[in-house]
Amino acid sequence: MNSDFVLTACPFCGCGCNFYLQILDSKIVGVIPCNTDEISEGKLCIKGRNADKFIKHKDRLTSPLIRENGQFRQASWQEALDLVSQKLGEIKQKFGPDAIGFLSSAKCTNEENFVLMKLARAVIGTNNVDHCARLCHASTVVGLMSSFGSGAMTNSIPEIENADCIFVIGSNTFEQHPLVASRIMKAKENGAKLIVVDPRRVPLMDFADVFLQIRPGTDVCLLNGLMNVLISRNWINVKFISERTEGFEDLKEKVKEYPPDRIKRITGVAPEDLERAARLYGEAKRAMILYAMGITQHISGTDNVRSCADLAMLTGNVGRESTGVNPLRGQNNVQGACDMGALPNVYSGYQLVTDKQAAKKFEKSWAVKLPSKPGLTVSEMLEAAYAGSLKAMYIMGENPMLSDPDINHVKSCLEALDFLVVQDIFPSETVKLADVVLPASSFAEKEGTFTATDRRVLRVRKAIEPIGESKPDWMIISELAQRMDGRRFDYSSPEDIMKEIATLTPTYSGISYARLDSGEVLTWPCPTPEHPGTKFLHQGEFTRGKGHFIAVDFREPAEMPDEEFPFILTTGRLMFQFHTGTMTRKAPSLEKEASKGFLELNPQDAQRLGIEQGERVVVKSRRGEIEIDTFVSDKVAPGVVFIPFHFAESPANVLTIGELDPEAKIPEFKVCAVNVCKRK
Amino acid sequence: MSDSVLVIGGGIAGIQASIDLANMGFHVYLVEKSPSIGGRMAQLDKTFPTNDCAMCILAPKMFEASQHPNIELLTYSQVEEVSGQVGKFRVKVRRKAPYVDWDKCTGCGECTQTELGEDGFKELNGETWVDRIEIDEQKCIQCGDCVRACVEENNEAQAMTNIAFERRKLVETLPEEKSAKETLMHEIARMDESDRRDFWQKELMKCMKCYGCREVCPLCVCDECEMDDPQWVAPGLVPPDYPLFHLIRAYHLADICVGCGACEATCPAGIPLLTMMHLACLDRDKIFDYVPGLDEQAKKRLIDHLNQHPIAARGVRV
Repeated sequence: MNSDFVLTACPFCGCGCNFYLQILDSKIVGVIPCNTDEISEGKLCIKGRNADKFIKHKDRLTSPLIRENGQFRQASWQEALDLVSQKLGEIKQKFGPDAIGFLSSAKCTNEENFVLMKLARAVIGTNNVDHCARLCHASTVVGLMSSFGSGAMTNSIPEIENADCIFVIGSNTFEQHPLVASRIMKAKENGAKLIVVDPRRVPLMDFADVFLQIRPGTDVCLLNGLMNVLISRNWINVKFISERTEGFEDLKEKVKEYPPDRIKRITGVAPEDLERAARLYGEAKRAMILYAMGITQHISGTDNVRSCADLAMLTGNVGRESTGVNPLRGQNNVQGACDMGALPNVYSGYQLVTDKQAAKKFEKSWAVKLPSKPGLTVSEMLEAAYAGSLKAMYIMGENPMLSDPDINHVKSCLEALDFLVVQDIFPSETVKLADVVLPASSFAEKEGTFTATDRRVLRVRKAIEPIGESKPDWMIISELAQRMDGRRFDYSSPEDIMKEIATLTPTYSGISYARLDSGEVLTWPCPTPEHPGTKFLHQGEFTRGKGHFIAVDFREPAEMPDEEFPFILTTGRLMFQFHTGTMTRKAPSLEKEASKGFLELNPQDAQRLGIEQGERVVVKSRRGEIEIDTFVSDKVAPGVVFIPFHFAESPANVLTIGELDPEAKIPEFKVCAVNVCKRK
Repeated sequence: MSDSVLVIGGGIAGIQASIDLANMGFHVYLVEKSPSIGGRMAQLDKTFPTNDCAMCILAPKMFEASQHPNIELLTYSQVEEVSGQVGKFRVKVRRKAPYVDWDKCTGCGECTQTELGEDGFKELNGETWVDRIEIDEQKCIQCGDCVRACVEENNEAQAMTNIAFERRKLVETLPEEKSAKETLMHEIARMDESDRRDFWQKELMKCMKCYGCREVCPLCVCDECEMDDPQWVAPGLVPPDYPLFHLIRAYHLADICVGCGACEATCPAGIPLLTMMHLACLDRDKIFDYVPGLDEQAKKRLIDHLNQHPIAARGVRV
């Protein structure tokens, strides 16, 4: 009998907990919390505790599949990869490199994202590479980049404990980032004040000193109103504003247009509550802003983010410990996938593809000529496929058939493609549309690194051999690249890739496996091998020099309720499931807790429509309709309904709107107009 | 009755007992004969059956014991005499001379690194140093190097002296009314029923339903768990309905809980689960007058009971 414990990182949310996988005779038998881990401190959420359940699930893809006459048949790696390289080669030759699009994955390691990005840019020659950050925090990257010069969480998770005031907006932290919520509760015990802003009565509300229930999509209005109160009461940090920022006068003029009675009219927040929130935030010595999808997933997502940044700068709460603007990233490695340049406009470390010097560096290292035109984003790729200009897509570990807005449209887009390759661990909804399916290995079967939401680089370690014939993603991509005459893809291990990342990426230069394995906790920027990592950003000076106040105007969401569609639909997630459920829905104990979707409906609305608790209803929008059970609850305000998007049986994203933020190209998942009616 | 407890032996059992007692509000004297607490566990690499690193478990507890306001460490000491009776013992403890002023010692270890006088310590396995806390008076040549090293390292705050500060200290009596630090158990004991309910409601509202308390519990061993039964605990609700989720667990374990505290340590919401278990165990003691492990006849009676009880008819026979 052989037993072992492998320290690895959790594959679910962005908190970045480490835990041990318990191995008995080369089989994973359990998850054991790691007491010495800085983030989890021996605690885990229910998803983390069940992180081993999907690995050995019978549905795992175990061999490459090729579609023939509408049916999948098993194939060898040789055959599948030959076919993919031949098809991609043909399309590249016939329609040019920009006819091929790549979706990278926030579930895969940094190394794998880097290699896919390299495949797209160096071998195919296109910048059409993107991933699901586009659907969650694209607006953060764009917004914070323009305000601060760096699009990442400014502070780290353990610092939350010592904050005096925590301002949570648009984040159901308790359910989505449990280990961050755990810190918030500790902070509360240390005497911190908590302000929660959300359209739903989220569980964190129970601990809040001030809870502001706003109408979905009115965040900019609320934040402007808050800043107006702060300025008029002089709860601002004049020294910080004059020394470290620019553009304050514009903001001051703009927020004057948002007096408390206008806030009341638009957001539904009473002036005295606004005043109380402003006082708590403005008078705190160390105040942190935490936000998530509720801020970003709007057509005004970038504006929302900039307003948050303005709020922090106004009170001087940036660049110190336990302060800052902290986007909580949803996926375990969505930060890393962005850092690695799996985005259409940047190389790794956010070096612009249009920057000649950066491009030269990469061209020299990869020995190829690189395209300089920024590529297409996720939503644009789908549109291009529909229009016929994009002929092939290579999707690694993503499930746009459940995660993207307006699924019916996504389906017709993907079906319009000549050639679709999907690399995944489970037969997801997207796999069903593929021409070639490549089975990948899960996090427990490979080496690599993840980057958690607070820029902390975590080691992922191999616990068991790959299941069936599956292979780690980096291996599949480099084999494919070598078939397509890609140069410098002869990696022997992910460590080789990390070495290459370190040479090409200034923020990761000092990060190596040796340092991580010796137990060092490294947060980028880490420019040299001696550098201890950067706990919080913008100390003394902003990355872009001076912090930039950007005055923004309130815009209504793209689709507002009307007579035909009188309800506002907002979507979100549950504690017990993760995103499209490809992994969590394989775990019996998670599935037991939440196995089907539901529609949260306010009791007033339910009474008016004569809908009973648990009744199955039809929800319609301009894009489609679904049937779903009702859950009558006062968590949502009258006129607002909520549906979790995990469940393929009642997919919320059939209803959502594909309208995009003009800068970040993030779709507006959080607001669309729907109608709820009884079943005929 | 005195509010103080004396624990003899500073191994892992003694340390844990002291911490638990101290948390319950007792003033604890922890007597250990060697210069440091830690005992045998400090010499082990791994522990059975979880293969956990021994020092990783032990070190935080040692630290906690040393820093706890309710624990008074009497290391390098031995119990010489116990008199009196339950509720009021008188204990005589001999404190050996440590040659070190504990309040000043920074633990730098310089004193142990000094070269010793020529005739000094060749016998000691060829090594030329000894632990100065435990100087062998037969062999010490009083060269004073250790004191000089201490002065050099710590300047005026030197802790080492060639003459023991306190050769002997007798703890004649345990102080009668030493004010103990207020703990959660104290607080709860003072609450009336409705306050208690409010207190637990507030605490349990933090529950994230991770089932961690159940997962890590070394004594939760049932194949089927009542907590999985939807008629007791409704699936999908966060936080779970007050109070069944936690009450089921607490009372299911009341007769076997060993108070290891793993549930509290792993709770992401920081609910004081160990205190909850202590309370459940108190109820057990009061209602059934039964303390696990003390009644030698208990096992036999339980087996007899099970064999006669209707449950036996369902095929359960022990």
